[in-house]
Amino acid sequence: MATFERASPALKEILLRIYNAEKPIEVDHHLYEFGSVEYYIKSSASEPFTYLSISTPLLSQGVFLSYGLSPYTLQMVRDISIDALDIVEPPTDGYQLTLRLDFSKLPHDKESLKIITEVSSVQAVILSSQLKEMLQNVNSWDISQGMYKPIKLIYHPREPFYVIRQPQKIVAVFPMRFKDHSDVIIATSFFQELMDVGSSGKWAKVPHCNWSPIPPPELIGEPFEDLSTNGGFVSFDISSHHVEGKRLDKTVWSLLNFYAYVKHHVKCTRGFIQRRMRRRMDSLVQVLEKSMIEENGEIKKIKGNAGWKKMKKWMRLTSKSKMIKRRYHDFRKKMKRIRFRIKIHGFARFRRRWLTMPNFSSSMGYTQLKNNN
Amino acid sequence: MANPLKLYLTCIRNTLEAAMCLQNFPCQEVERHNKPEVELKTSPELLLNPVLICRNEAEKCLIETSINSLRISLKVKQADELENILAKKFLRFLSMRAEAFQVLRRKPVQGYDISFLITNYHCEEMQKQKLIDFIVQFMEDIDKEISELKMSVSTRGRLVASEFLKQFL
Repeated sequence: MATFERASPALKEILLRIYNAEKPIEVDHHLYEFGSVEYYIKSSASEPFTYLSISTPLLSQGVFLSYGLSPYTLQMVRDISIDALDIVEPPTDGYQLTLRLDFSKLPHDKESLKIITEVSSVQAVILSSQLKEMLQNVNSWDISQGMYKPIKLIYHPREPFYVIRQPQKIVAVFPMRFKDHSDVIIATSFFQELMDVGSSGKWAKVPHCNWSPIPPPELIGEPFEDLSTNGGFVSFDISSHHVEGKRLDKTVWSLLNFYAYVKHHVKCTRGFIQRRMRRRMDSLVQVLEKSMIEENGEIKKIKGNAGWKKMKKWMRLTSKSKMIKRRYHDFRKKMKRIRFRIKIHGFARFRRRWLTMPNFSSSMGYTQLKNNN
Repeated sequence: MANPLKLYLTCIRNTLEAAMCLQNFPCQEVERHNKPEVELKTSPELLLNPVLICRNEAEKCLIETSINSLRISLKVKQADELENILAKKFLRFLSMRAEAFQVLRRKPVQGYDISFLITNYHCEEMQKQKLIDFIVQFMEDIDKEISELKMSVSTRGRLVASEFLKQFL
């Protein structure tokens, strides 16, 4: 699924094309993804560098971003490739970040593919680094009435989620909304399984998960439109254990893609239900076919795995062929009437009786017994 | 088959055996028309008393008979919200493909989940006993299928939840 992969497939393809070209090529591409992410790739034959500009809606519009991207985010981007990648200041007009790529400095082995893939995932790096900074940075959080104020983050335009700092842990709260009532029921069943699995002994190290149909008390004071949902609220308790070392990256990416994960599961479940219903319908129709009465001493043989569609087709074909026969017969009669203009009285009867071929097969399905007397 | 269910299905089977005595009867209102009288209900002398068989408050079967047609309406058990949407989806799926079943009605009678309409023509084309067997088998299969679907959805949810939580380890 594209939303679970960090790298943008279209961006990766363009960068690979530039990298693999034998001589420098002219490229001037604008890419749009997910309705709000924009990439601008520019490469010319006269210059050895490729310029990549990115514009992405950021997670939070809070105090972090008054001066553009934070130094932590810029450092995370530079760490993708220190040799081949450089940040251009100021960025291109209308974009938040412009990178200068020098493909000649990339190694000529599989490592180059890895670096190009990481460059293609620069949008994921920017957003993940923002959330990482929030999870790691405690002092700059607002405190209101002795409680830490929840921060609203927006990864997808209509699906914000909240991160709330508490003593010993960070709580991520996801208000869930679905368009269809059946999606709500399937998702609710999933959330209950998530709670059950998370609370079992085997999964003691994972963040504690909770689902409730009403907003949690930490979100008191938030706007009403953000708290009105039909799928309830899912919250994860992230402890320091989950943000240590390499786990931080995985935790952040899982939280950012939680909505997409749930929506994907609901969609797959609906497809599964549809497939099962089709299979069951075929088996039910077969039971009914057995109740059909035998005709002309022959059992109507219908293949077991053909289903009702073939039976319908067969019935349509037989009625069509009868219609064609009738129309041919009418046409023949008309032609004869036109051709035989000379009428001889009584000849038609004579012709019907003596000049037609006898029909040896009986249409009644039985042969008349000869009278032996 | 559990005992209460067996009694319920036996009662329905016996009622259908008595009710499925249909004959051709042209429409009394319109010349050269032949309509299922149980649907029109214009001539009370052609209708028999409807029979309602209830297993419990949630499950019931209504059998309405007339001289040339018979209508069977079923209300299926739905214990919770998930069973409710699964039953609704499945029965709607079958109703939309009613031509495959021939005896199935496209729209269920109000207050019920699914309805069958059997006419004298169906009784001429199909064997009566096997038709009754089909109806009873259908009822059993629907219950079984909804239970299996519910279990499958829960199992899938559990597996997907495990896969999601693995990312935090």
